[in-house]
Amino acid sequence: MNVNGIGTGSISRIADKQSSNTGTSFKDIINDQLSKLNDSQIRADQMAQDFISGEVEDLHAVMIATEEARLSLDLALQVRNKIVEAYKEINNMQL
Amino acid sequence: MTVFKSMQINATGLNLERLKLDTISTNIANANTTRTENGEAYRRKVVVFRERLSAETDRQSGLASVRSEGVSVVGIAEDQSDFRLEYSPEHPDADENGYVRLPNVNMVDEMIDLIRTQRTYEANVTALNTSKSILKKALEISKD
Repeated sequence: MNVNGIGTGSISRIADKQSSNTGTSFKDIINDQLSKLNDSQIRADQMAQDFISGEVEDLHAVMIATEEARLSLDLALQVRNKIVEAYKEINNMQL
Repeated sequence: MTVFKSMQINATGLNLERLKLDTISTNIANANTTRTENGEAYRRKVVVFRERLSAETDRQSGLASVRSEGVSVVGIAEDQSDFRLEYSPEHPDADENGYVRLPNVNMVDEMIDLIRTQRTYEANVTALNTSKSILKKALEISKD
């Protein structure tokens, strides 16, 4: 069994990792995914409009687009719930 | 998006069945048409379709593979079987012997195709609903 001494090596490695990951922060990921979600909602809306105006002839295409938008929203909602849950957990932590 | 792939696959099936339905409707509507643009009687139309494949590379192994992505329409072909002959000399499209060429549309065949199209459409919708409920179930994981 290897016993490693306590050093600053591991900490500096973590720090290195963090500095190299600054390109995609958590905020960026959330923003990116939210804009994708928004796009799918807009697409579903557009499909419904196009169907009413007669540009899209397939009703099932409209239904699938709205269903995709709805499922994406549900997924986003679940992710948001998890984030809020984790935040609350940390916030209530006794120090 | 890959999550909705199964839904997109069934969407191609639904598109095909709709086109088939349109074609059958045309066949039934023209079941007695003796005059078309090329001068002869109406020929029965059939949709020609094939499996749609897409080449893709696996993200983990990096291997290229061919995957099925539903169905795609090749085109609409004409049934080249013989016309029905009917003796009616008073008909404006009758030939010199008094025979009229009627379309090679068989109403019973069209009805069977109609039912098959409807059932296939329904099957595609069922598969689509199943993939939808699978995704919905997945969202229920670790729900309180």
